[in-house]
Amino acid sequence: MSSYVLRRVLQSIPILIVVLTLVFVVVRILPGDPAIAALGDYASKEAVEALREQMGLNTPLWLQYLRFLGDLCRGNLGTSIITGFPVGKQLVKVLPYTLELTFSSILFGFLFGIPLAIPAAVRRNSFIDYFNRVFSLMGLSIPAFYLGILLMLVFSIKLRLFPVVGGGDLVSLSSTLRHLFLPALSLGLIMTAYVTRMSRSSLLNILREDYVRTARSKGISERVILLKHALRNALIPIVALGGVYAVVLIGSSVMTEIVFSRPGLGSLMVGAIKQRDYTTLQSVMVFYSVVVVILNLMIDLIYGWIDPRIQYR
Amino acid sequence: MVKRGLAHLALVVLIAGFFVIDTAEAQQLAKEQILSIAFDAGDVGTLDPHRAASTVDRATVDMIFNGLVRYPPGEQVKVEPDLASSWTVSRDKKVWTFTLRKGVFFHPYAGNPTGYELTAEDVVYSLKRAADPKRSSYAGEYGGMTFEALDPSTVRITLDKPMSETLFLAKVASYAGGFIVSKKVLEEKGDEWFKTQPVGTGPFMFETYEPRQKTVLAANARYFRGAPILKQVVVRYMPSVSSREFGLQTGELQIIEGLKEEKWAEKVATFPDVRVRNFGPCETQMLYFTMTQKPFDDVRVRKAVSYAISREEVAAFMGKSLAVPIYAAALAPPAPGALTKEEALKAGVVYENNLAEARKLLAEAGYPNGFKTEVIISEMESSYRKPMIAIQAQLKKVGIDMALKVVDHSSFHTLIRKDASPIVYYAAWRPNVDVFLTRFYHSASTVVTGKNPDTNFSHYASVDELIEKARWELDADKQNAMWKEAQIRILRDVAAVPIIRLLYNFPAKSYVDIGHPLQWSWQTYSPQITEKTRILAR
Repeated sequence: MSSYVLRRVLQSIPILIVVLTLVFVVVRILPGDPAIAALGDYASKEAVEALREQMGLNTPLWLQYLRFLGDLCRGNLGTSIITGFPVGKQLVKVLPYTLELTFSSILFGFLFGIPLAIPAAVRRNSFIDYFNRVFSLMGLSIPAFYLGILLMLVFSIKLRLFPVVGGGDLVSLSSTLRHLFLPALSLGLIMTAYVTRMSRSSLLNILREDYVRTARSKGISERVILLKHALRNALIPIVALGGVYAVVLIGSSVMTEIVFSRPGLGSLMVGAIKQRDYTTLQSVMVFYSVVVVILNLMIDLIYGWIDPRIQYR
Repeated sequence: MVKRGLAHLALVVLIAGFFVIDTAEAQQLAKEQILSIAFDAGDVGTLDPHRAASTVDRATVDMIFNGLVRYPPGEQVKVEPDLASSWTVSRDKKVWTFTLRKGVFFHPYAGNPTGYELTAEDVVYSLKRAADPKRSSYAGEYGGMTFEALDPSTVRITLDKPMSETLFLAKVASYAGGFIVSKKVLEEKGDEWFKTQPVGTGPFMFETYEPRQKTVLAANARYFRGAPILKQVVVRYMPSVSSREFGLQTGELQIIEGLKEEKWAEKVATFPDVRVRNFGPCETQMLYFTMTQKPFDDVRVRKAVSYAISREEVAAFMGKSLAVPIYAAALAPPAPGALTKEEALKAGVVYENNLAEARKLLAEAGYPNGFKTEVIISEMESSYRKPMIAIQAQLKKVGIDMALKVVDHSSFHTLIRKDASPIVYYAAWRPNVDVFLTRFYHSASTVVTGKNPDTNFSHYASVDELIEKARWELDADKQNAMWKEAQIRILRDVAAVPIIRLLYNFPAKSYVDIGHPLQWSWQTYSPQITEKTRILAR
């Protein structure tokens, strides 16, 4: 098991290097100039040149690239070329907000998605099944930021129940929860749609299996068959795809964070793109890639936990 | 029946409940005096006043710093004392001597919890810094000046060449390079530190900064004009307009940067407790021809384009309460020296919308059926894309097929400085006509090929001498006359077509009292927050 984990970690290194290189190049292909973005159109050419020099943009690309890799190896994410604020510090500040949002929406998705899928699978083509299918189709089609705006309109503007600006004060639980509710709901509803759809089809397949028929013939109650025999097996693809969707969710959280003006990785990244803040953008992308790699590894490990038949070699 | 009655009762209680909450919130705000203002920005750029350029950065540094003199908040017609209590000028207008106000203290900072009193040393240090291109974006404006501290409260500025009051005082006003910074802090902490932890003398002092979220400023109780009424100002970075709108509706934000669009402003004006106020002078939007590229190297083609454009239509498209047609090639009235419509008409350089004339000129130039062209434009809606869409439709009527290539704003700035677009639509504000003319029409400022490449997109070079002569003219009337003459020549050669100026639009809660008559805001592109700004109790 541990050798498997080690091998997977080692395997991800070349992937990360490719990603890092791509990020480094793509960020610089964008035609904007960070110095002009920082100084505005009023600044003179002379000032722009001086700032470019200070930002280290006049050093050859290969040297910038080597420095970037070297810094990363030492665990140094660099400082923002715009504000001079250390990127690591920025990440530490915003990370709790993105984590609480992502985890609460995944939790929401599984808590509501699976219970919704069971009756739909058991009573196929019934009203509840149709309702589920329509609901998940809507959830899959609606962009998270749009849903976020709708929720804000109803819960904040009309009902005045939840705040719309910022991520709240992390020290105060009630403030955090009040600020978290709507963004988590908007991502959570979409996650629920994914989970419901997957769980339904996965359960439908399992319920047709021979061992379920055998269990039935042995006189085991439907409840036990469903919860103990079928659901556990049905969970395997759910977890697998759940991991994929968690990655999608991190992507969707970018727009949700912007719409709700929440601090987080997404708003950090969008701000960095706008300002052509190369170092911040690079480091955030690197961070995202690491998260995706880790997430995939975790999914693989969870498989084994759910399904003891899977062995790691 | 009983059920329905109960339901109604519940509804009434609910509505009353919200009303009570609303009033209670407002009362609480008035008690706390915390003002939240949200800008269309992803993050702070820099809080170093000699670098600050974006709307939000300018608004923030304006609360933290002062200049030797200032334009009164919201009016900005004449200059009044700020850190200097008085000043004198030698007869030859070369030596300016400023006496500093007593009892002005810098904000406390790490290592100096009480702050220290401003001296002439700080002023000299600041102005020298503003003149250093490595540390300031405005260095070009401070060439040919010597700064000296005669004693702790007297500063002398000596100019190589005499300069009119209009031009000189603008350089030491509380704007851009004129902001006075703390010598001690910069020497102790350095420029990098100062970017996100500025120390000045203004009514508000820096408290905290959260990347991509907010900057919090606290009241400076020792401010020399008296302690501010507001206890705290929270500057929020919120790029999504719908989020800003919602925040204003819920009362979490009291002032927001709006869209410069009439329809939007009308909608926001219907929100309860919200007041929309438009103020100027705002940016002027003009269309510049790259005169070195075909077909715009031919003055007949440029004239044809001018005749094909109806600036009144563009203004109507943008909304008449926000957009005003302009006729000056540099800034717009009431800026001193900007050409008025009457003057432009008299000089025959208005080119009022006339499609027949446009077609005739195109035919003469060898394009009887018009031509195709591709123009790069910024994604920014109200300052670039939207007016250009109106112009695109107008040009179509005379057979000019102008394709718009929309790029993000940062790319736009880079590309237009590389001569990548045959027409450049550009929105700008500059502190006076001299700066505008120099940067947009002086040959040294020509993009790519100029000695000091800047924003002369037209490659225009016929008014260099006049711009320079006007700059050193001491008589204000003569100076204005020269500036106007330069604009008439530019328009006669059709290097540019003035289109509209667009007013600023910052909706605010009606219980916010800005504390000054908000008509013009020159040094910030937003309402100035001062020591007199307050939240009223209702």
